[in-house]
Amino acid sequence: MLSRTDAKAAGSNVPARLTLTDFDLTLPALGLLVLFFVVPVAILLARSVSEPVPGFGNYAELLGSSTYLKIFANTFLVSGLVTFVSLVIGFPVAWALAVMPSRFASVIFAILLLSMWTNLLARTYAWMVLLQRTGVVNKLLVGLGLIDTPLPLVNNLTGVTIGMTYIMLPFVILPLYGVIRKIDPAILQAAALCGANRWQALVRVLLPLAMPGMAAGALMVFVMSLGYFVTPALLGGTANMMLAELIAQFVQSLVNWGMGGAAALVLLVVTLALYAVQLRFFGTDRMGGR
Amino acid sequence: MLLNFDRLGWWKLVLIGITVLTAAFLLLPILFIAALSFGSSQWLIFPPPGWTLQWYRELLADPRWLESAWTSFQIAIIVTVLSVLLGLVTSFGLTRARFMFREALKALFLTPMILPVVVLAVALYAFFLQIGLNGTLSGFVISHLVLALPFSILSITNALEGFDKSIEDAAVLCGASPFEAKIRVTLPAISHGIFSAAIFSFLTSWDEVVVAIFMASPTLQTLPVKVWATLRQDLTPVVAAASTLLILLTVLLMVLVALVRKGLKS
Repeated sequence: MLSRTDAKAAGSNVPARLTLTDFDLTLPALGLLVLFFVVPVAILLARSVSEPVPGFGNYAELLGSSTYLKIFANTFLVSGLVTFVSLVIGFPVAWALAVMPSRFASVIFAILLLSMWTNLLARTYAWMVLLQRTGVVNKLLVGLGLIDTPLPLVNNLTGVTIGMTYIMLPFVILPLYGVIRKIDPAILQAAALCGANRWQALVRVLLPLAMPGMAAGALMVFVMSLGYFVTPALLGGTANMMLAELIAQFVQSLVNWGMGGAAALVLLVVTLALYAVQLRFFGTDRMGGR
Repeated sequence: MLLNFDRLGWWKLVLIGITVLTAAFLLLPILFIAALSFGSSQWLIFPPPGWTLQWYRELLADPRWLESAWTSFQIAIIVTVLSVLLGLVTSFGLTRARFMFREALKALFLTPMILPVVVLAVALYAFFLQIGLNGTLSGFVISHLVLALPFSILSITNALEGFDKSIEDAAVLCGASPFEAKIRVTLPAISHGIFSAAIFSFLTSWDEVVVAIFMASPTLQTLPVKVWATLRQDLTPVVAAASTLLILLTVLLMVLVALVRKGLKS
């Protein structure tokens, strides 16, 4: 494409040949993406302001109803909880992986990768079985004498949080490991020489240095959780629906494209805004932990 | 101090403890499902009262399970081939071309990876309803390709950026045509990137649920959709058997990746 115009611009007498330039190579994929990604999403969003009547009625309904606001609140609550628990567990694991003898660490890595690659439904099913009233977790807790009667662990907030933390953990541990790995051990030796004990070194040196990685990992898990569909639908109850389920319900059972599009736009805007924050403050070049 | 394993003192034990517990937390549910798929109790009691192959027999006797597995496999293979070919072409364009907005274009190609899948699923569902692609193999292939392509482009551009283009130029100087040089010099050099592009694309399609739930019709569904639909009714051990086969495939692919990596190093 560029070569043709270049040839013309140069006023050359050589007829513009139909040669492929490197840019042209990206056109098939670009076409696929525009036709089957950009256009469908744009149409969906357009329908949110045109159906059933033109205007912002769908958004007014979505943001004005206590039912829907409860779903938004629940979506943020679940995502926040999952992010918090993942960080609390993920930080020590990432730290341990960064300092452990490599033989031991590689076993842990293999488990992390296996879990990440194992079919999402298979993993969610495992938790449905484990957490049910007669499941292993309840039996274990009763057997240990910690509780008298089985706890309701599925179809509620507990179930979703456990199931989603399980899925998100590798997404915190792996990037955080990369960040901690890059921290120069000499900085911590210096802290020790200056008289810091372990706690002081952890709180005032290691944690601050790992903070960009923590923040980036937290944002990623939070954003991924916001749009999650399968695990909340299977492990959560009707009382704590999440945004992605609401979108699916508008479209599949209610056939309300206007509301579905509006809810999708809310999810998109929040997602993109958080990614913008991530790029602004923790751009990939700043992931090095300094 | 804190980054020196031998000087962590008793903190070492705490860190190792948390790590081992986390690893167990990640691994045990997978093993648990595999164990239950051979258990004789319909109520998924653990430890099972006895061992049986009954659930696998039920799985294999039901033509709908086999059909959905076959559908998944076909789609995943087609998506893998298309994703690798398209990813290869696009990556050459992205790494070799000098044009404005190259980074922006690359970011655009990666967006399907980060946006909530449910938005794409709903949008494509609406779009395909209008052009009649819902419930068709093409519909599945297109939607899975949109999701798989970013992984493919990412793996192959990474490999291409690490490849010294002057080697390809040298082949051209020695008389190879530019195309021949790419096929015979560059492609073998970036084969690890192509390989991971293929594995990622296959798994993306094979494991994909959300778009597939919307794309499926009563007559055409993928294995994850069948699992999803079954799970919404009850927790039957047949799903444990199906899940175990899915896990087995993942393990096989991981071993394959590990072997290829090892082969590349030596």
